[in-house]
Amino acid sequence: MRRFQWRRLQPVGFVMPRRKVLATNPHRLKPAPRPSRSHAILFEFIRVCALAALLALSFNPLLVTSQKQSASKAAQESATAPKRDLSGLWHYESTGASEPIAPDNLIPPMTPWAQAKFATEKPGYGPRRAPGGNDPILQCDPMGFPRVMFLNTPFEFVQVEGRVIQFFEREHEYRTIWTDGRSLPKDADPTWYGYAIGHWEGDDTFFVESAGFRENTWLGSSGYPHSENMRITERYRRVDHDTILYDITVTDPTAYTQAIVGPHRIMKLRSHDELIEEICVPSEEKSFGERIAMPATPKSSK
Amino acid sequence: MRSRPRSLLIYLFATLAPAISLSPVARLQAAPQQAPAKAASTPAPKRDLSGVWQYQGSGGADSMVPDKDMPPMTPWAKARFDTAKPGYGPRGAPGGNDPILQCDPIGFPRIMFMPTPFEFVPTQNRVLQFFEREHAWRPIWLDGRSIPEDADPTWFGYAVGHWEGDDTLVVETRGLNDRTWLGPTGFPHSEEMRVTERYKRVDHDTIQYNITVSDPTAYSQPIVVPQKIMKLKPHEEIEEQPCVWSQENAFAKRIREPAAQKPAK
Repeated sequence: MRRFQWRRLQPVGFVMPRRKVLATNPHRLKPAPRPSRSHAILFEFIRVCALAALLALSFNPLLVTSQKQSASKAAQESATAPKRDLSGLWHYESTGASEPIAPDNLIPPMTPWAQAKFATEKPGYGPRRAPGGNDPILQCDPMGFPRVMFLNTPFEFVQVEGRVIQFFEREHEYRTIWTDGRSLPKDADPTWYGYAIGHWEGDDTFFVESAGFRENTWLGSSGYPHSENMRITERYRRVDHDTILYDITVTDPTAYTQAIVGPHRIMKLRSHDELIEEICVPSEEKSFGERIAMPATPKSSK
Repeated sequence: MRSRPRSLLIYLFATLAPAISLSPVARLQAAPQQAPAKAASTPAPKRDLSGVWQYQGSGGADSMVPDKDMPPMTPWAKARFDTAKPGYGPRGAPGGNDPILQCDPIGFPRIMFMPTPFEFVPTQNRVLQFFEREHAWRPIWLDGRSIPEDADPTWFGYAVGHWEGDDTLVVETRGLNDRTWLGPTGFPHSEEMRVTERYKRVDHDTIQYNITVSDPTAYSQPIVVPQKIMKLKPHEEIEEQPCVWSQENAFAKRIREPAAQKPAK
């Protein structure tokens, strides 16, 4: 956008419109006497300098290069992460597809119980996929926790008194993380999303503990099982305004000989988005499976 | 029993502890009887519907109005109605095709007339409404926005609300897909349906609920539902109860289908 047009410095061009007004409306007051030409040039020069100074002060950021702009913005963001506040929509920066809790080589050895379960699982996709896969989500069984964390669809934290509610776009699901100081119940009914409590460590890390999980869910798309004795701890650390560093540990001695420690995961804030309603509808899933997924699955898997 | 102070302490503990421990129990046990009289005089908090509420219906899945009070249907709606085979009730048929029998979402407003509670949780810019049924939830936006003209039709719609005075929350909902029934007897609706509700907190424990459904594509007049009552259920928390098709399917095969009555005429 050109802010200075050198042609405007010419007083002749500036004065001419007034003459036209006078010509069309002779009853208007006569204009003030025109200054001499040298005065006009001086006045114009002063006017231009003042305008330039004003523009320099107010529009300076626009003259900065894009790199400088993003750097200053990033600095601003990292300096202003709110304390004890995770509100907003967050998006896990995954590979783009759903993934397991950890890569195969980081999953500890399974117990015989888990090994037997694992052998019966036929994922719908991935290296062990088979036609007629029996992944429970293929018939809209709830995805459950923590599997819902490792997707490419966002979630939202809403903080109110006594609880933090975590909404997942996938399946239009949610779980309540109680922050009112209660303990985990010893005999929580097993549910798909578990029973969760949380508290703050310092001002930037939200620590969540959960238990009471049904054993019907998989730990990820490749089919790792778990038992009802599974307990989970998570840390959501807001490292700057737009970034959470996420860590999860799963302890399930019935199924795994050691704890599963997930890799660090990054979640990014999506300030201007809202969750959309996305519900898994069994009749639609069934229709999709019959028409598209099954015919596309290779008959033999590795 | 060595020293007097110690025995005195034990004596005090033995007498006071039962009194201390029993009093909350006594209060809780007495609460259901005391609550109605006490609650009626307890003023309602202003502009606040937080808590778990229970619709006072028949105890089963209710229709919003009795079938005979439904306004006349348009030909479009009548054709749809004729294809509906409820799973139970007077038009119940074996192999009913009520979408909820296969865990299609029950949708709005049908979910309001179920015997399971819901919870209001207000936040900064919205009131969240959590339903125990299906673990469903919807946000009611209170930030002054309008419902988008091109809202994608969804199972629970797009809702905005505002307060009338300090005791009545008015909610408008649009953008509902046409795949749900209005109630268990199979009345249909179109995507043009608009729902207006008024939640009036008349005292601490009571909401007077009024709902009107307008759908000229399906019904020649709006459906004005007679006032319903909702009662606060303190000390309760919503349970997780998703509809799981694989479980529902197993139940239908083992129990519901063999028990379905022939349609009554």
